Amino acid sequence: MEHFAVWVAAFLTLGIVSFLYKDNPWYKLSEAIFVGISAGYWFVVLFWDNIYGKFWNGIFPEELIDSAGNVVTREPDYWLLVGAVLGTLMLLRLIPKIGWISRWPLAFIIGCTSGLYLINYFSSNMMRQVEATIMPLVGHWVLDPATSQNAFSAFSGADIFSNLVLVIGTFTGLVYFYFSKEHRGAFGGTAKVGIFFIMITFGASFGYTVMSRMSLLIGRADFLLFDWLGLVR
Amino acid sequence: MKRQIPLFITFFVGTLLIFSVFIPPMETLGENFTLFFDIIAVFAFFLGAGNLVRVHVSKLRKRKADWGFSIVTLIGFGFMLFVGLLKIGNPGGIAADVTAPGSWFQEMFNYVINPLQSTMYALLAFFVASASYRAFRAKNREATILLMAAFVILLGRTPLGMMLTAWIPDSLSIFQIPNMAVWIMNSFNLAGQRAILIGISLGVVAMSLRLILGVERTYLGGDDSG
Amino acid sequence: MRSRSSISPGWTLLLVTTLLVCIVAAPTFGQMPDDGVITFEDTVQVMVAAPTSLIATDHKYDDGEKIDLQWVPSIDDLPGIGTVVGYRIYRQDDGGVAEVIANLPAKANHYRDENTELGHTYIYSVAALTDGAEFMSNLTESISPEREWIDFSKRYLFLIALLVGGAVIYFIEIARRGKKLFVRKIAGLEAVDDAVGRATEMGRPILFIPGIQDMDDVQTLAGLTILGRISKTIADYDTEIFMPVSRSLVMTAGREIIKSSYQTAGRPEKYSDNMVTYITDEQFGYVAAVDGIMVREKPATVFLLGAFFAESLILAETGNYIGAIQIAGTARPAQLPFFIAACDFTLIGEELFAASAYLSEDPKALGSLKGQDVGKAVAMVIIVVGVLAATMGQAWDISSMNSLVDILKTIFSTS
Repeated sequence: MEHFAVWVAAFLTLGIVSFLYKDNPWYKLSEAIFVGISAGYWFVVLFWDNIYGKFWNGIFPEELIDSAGNVVTREPDYWLLVGAVLGTLMLLRLIPKIGWISRWPLAFIIGCTSGLYLINYFSSNMMRQVEATIMPLVGHWVLDPATSQNAFSAFSGADIFSNLVLVIGTFTGLVYFYFSKEHRGAFGGTAKVGIFFIMITFGASFGYTVMSRMSLLIGRADFLLFDWLGLVR
Repeated sequence: MKRQIPLFITFFVGTLLIFSVFIPPMETLGENFTLFFDIIAVFAFFLGAGNLVRVHVSKLRKRKADWGFSIVTLIGFGFMLFVGLLKIGNPGGIAADVTAPGSWFQEMFNYVINPLQSTMYALLAFFVASASYRAFRAKNREATILLMAAFVILLGRTPLGMMLTAWIPDSLSIFQIPNMAVWIMNSFNLAGQRAILIGISLGVVAMSLRLILGVERTYLGGDDSG
Repeated sequence: MRSRSSISPGWTLLLVTTLLVCIVAAPTFGQMPDDGVITFEDTVQVMVAAPTSLIATDHKYDDGEKIDLQWVPSIDDLPGIGTVVGYRIYRQDDGGVAEVIANLPAKANHYRDENTELGHTYIYSVAALTDGAEFMSNLTESISPEREWIDFSKRYLFLIALLVGGAVIYFIEIARRGKKLFVRKIAGLEAVDDAVGRATEMGRPILFIPGIQDMDDVQTLAGLTILGRISKTIADYDTEIFMPVSRSLVMTAGREIIKSSYQTAGRPEKYSDNMVTYITDEQFGYVAAVDGIMVREKPATVFLLGAFFAESLILAETGNYIGAIQIAGTARPAQLPFFIAACDFTLIGEELFAASAYLSEDPKALGSLKGQDVGKAVAMVIIVVGVLAATMGQAWDISSMNSLVDILKTIFSTS
């Protein structure tokens, strides 16, 4: 059985790879299998996780045993019924006459996502990044353990340069995104420096990823050569 | 009415969630609403699955190009629902976890979905190569900067980068490629990331407010229809 | 040969020691349960000091469901010795029997009980655990959790968010009153109309990919709001649009948006549900299908706007291969380089969220972009002032500058 399964896996692997040459029936077959089976897989997993696990178990909770070994009885969470009602409203799309009611759950979800993300993003991206950028450029006072007194410790030339790059890069990057002023003159020049930093950022991320992608390919070649064809390692 | 109720729901839910962050008795509201979302998503899945079946059945009926593959998709989909919802071929029976090891359902994942996933993912290696080649040919300054930075980082992560610049004396070690790579990551890269992240957070604030205040309402059926 | 009936000296020693340990340790057990928690097996128990200075405090800014415990670990809880194997937390609820509520590893010196109820009083104790015995700390004073209605620890977050959010609302209002606001041209967005026009001229479809995440990702919402603008042009030109999606909710929202655009354009009969189809929730299964659609349908224009992960490059390169004009945008910095390398125009982070406002040419929406700029201006000013103050304060030890930095750091701190 396992042997057969490895052959199936190899057949599908090669089918997908064949797309690099051109679209062909082998790829189409692999694609059709992939779509059908994976759509079914996720439907089932979400059904058991959400409808059974979260909804049903929330309304009719089972007794649980906590880490200390005590039996915990939970109160039924009838609020979950609101979710089910909203979900049912979503299905009203199937009835054209009252299909417009399905916009209510949609409106609920959009309100949720907007409300949840607004403060989350603001706190983790804006506040935290601004705080992290406030730093001394040339050196700082540190406690000297020998004398138990504060003493000025200057940063190395390279560190000072790095700090400057960090502050200037963040500042000019923000200038690049500024919408209210045309990118002309000194402002335009600053924005150009900003995009320069942003492009280096992207380059760094590109270079960083290339290596890991290569290792994925090596992983698949490894499967075909050793697991499927059985070449000795 | 058709327009006002959804606008009100978005406004009410959005505002409530923003303030819930600052009001401890309401702090679990976000989690509860996320649960509602999970439940709604499964109900919506019935629509998605229905659409999948409808599209392929119609392809089959009309004998459109490649209709044969639609049969494969439908069989695969139906089979997974059958063994997954009824837990057929699951050693633990109906009470067991649907993804229990050894169940038909999980074996399908291991031997069909998993290799397909890994292979699609591995195709990236080829696409990375072709994208790099294209970036090389790009004549504009931005792409050149991008590529140069990428090149330094790439070399910095390989032994080649070390070998190429090992001759540089230690006093100028910053110019050795692996050190340059670390330096680019920690200063230039970090600076760019920060600017992008701050920009994104402000973009999210403005877009969320447009949605909550109803300035943005295309999802409700355009500006004029009702 | 040893006689079975007599007790050997070894056993005698063990018995005596055990008895001694019982006598010495007994008072420390206090009010502990008598359900055999303390088990003496037939080995000699090692004596360890109990944890000390246990205090329970109400957790600040919660709904009354948390109490914080802190203690000084047993002085015998030393690295490498391993006589203390962990700590056990006991709790009495409203004077009831003490129950174990948690077991913690060695070295632990604090615990947060997140299962308290308003109106109940609790008494806690902590035991140091050895291989077979427990050595109990003092009992805490009885404590009741309290509810706070406002989380003052987030006051600065609230104020700064109010400032930026207020600016957004202010400019929306200013625009609503008819004041004309300037927003500079954004290259990627200027290209959108041309890209739609190109597909119309070539008589080939437009492919719209809203990312692979569900409606609970704000990037998906951004992609869909842009779809709202694009689909208007598409309906006007009567160009074919195809939108395969990987989430059922996105399918529902996408249909709603495109349908309404066709209604607005006065040709509802041209709309079909087949424009938006669900493929699969599986990331790469979806990608395999979209790649197939690209090479078979050969769309003239491809929009990739939303949350993308590793598939970004697979999609963008396939689009490139079929010669489509591609406009991409995401807020995921890790995927942006791939879009930049493979697409004609890329909306970087913030531009993705600004796009629908920009494309709408609705003054109110444009006003919100002005509000965003106020946020950027605040960030820029704080960074410049903060860095200058920190540098001067540290270099010349100016205390006023150092306090300014402390204030700024406190305001922007989120922890």
